[in-house]
Amino acid sequence: MTEINLRLKNKLNEVFVVGPNDLGIDFLTFYFKKITVRLKIMPFVYVIPSAILLALILYFLFEKLLVRLVTILQYGY
Amino acid sequence: MAINFITSLILVIRNFFLLIFYPYRTMRKISFEKDNYQLLIIAGLVFLYFKFIYFLRDKPYPATLIFLIFLFNFFFTVFFFYCLSKNFEKDVRLRSFIFTFSYSLFPTLIWFLSTSILYIFLPPPRTLSLLGNAFSIFFMAYSLSLLIWKLILVYLALRFSSKQNFFRIFYMMILYLIWFLPYSVLLYYFRFFRVPFI
Repeated sequence: MTEINLRLKNKLNEVFVVGPNDLGIDFLTFYFKKITVRLKIMPFVYVIPSAILLALILYFLFEKLLVRLVTILQYGY
Repeated sequence: MAINFITSLILVIRNFFLLIFYPYRTMRKISFEKDNYQLLIIAGLVFLYFKFIYFLRDKPYPATLIFLIFLFNFFFTVFFFYCLSKNFEKDVRLRSFIFTFSYSLFPTLIWFLSTSILYIFLPPPRTLSLLGNAFSIFFMAYSLSLLIWKLILVYLALRFSSKQNFFRIFYMMILYLIWFLPYSVLLYYFRFFRVPFI
């Protein structure tokens, strides 16, 4: 029983190592939490489609610049 | 010693996959980490990468020199955030910063390694042909997704190490970029890094 209590205490200490984020304005805090809760577990489910969408937008806006940027980045290793 | 090392290696691999699926929970756990072998393994992986690109680069600097510059950048970054956080919160540990920032190097390492391998199989320059455009979109999406993952990990590293709120972390990052961007230009000018390895 004592060991379980100790483990629970350690886990609670770990979970509450930082206080909840408060952005000062209620609706900002609300949307911040709505977004971040999705990024805490398997963020790539949202990150990959967003990155593809962003890349397509960049391509349609700056076609030549994007191709040149990719060339520069490929030399960037 | 060998068993400790293998255990640490397994933990590094495990943490690497957990950072993909559960970045928040994993980074929180990493901030309590005390196993120095894990740091050695991550530093070893970075050193191996520098050794690998030594054979790809034109007129390269020795891998050891590049690695030492990387270590300088890394510890300077860690100390910068540690000293800044110490002003707001007394209960911050340098060890926590070192571990979390070491693990946040994974996206960087993946991007640099994959870019150098792509350089061998699909060498630049890219053209405006259909395949060139398609590859450019793919590469940009791939780079952006790794960049977003990197930003998430750096934010979480700062969140659990400095114990500050979102706005303070945001300001700290702005302050960091104020000196780091000119510094990166300097590194580019001296041909150490074309894209900063951090």
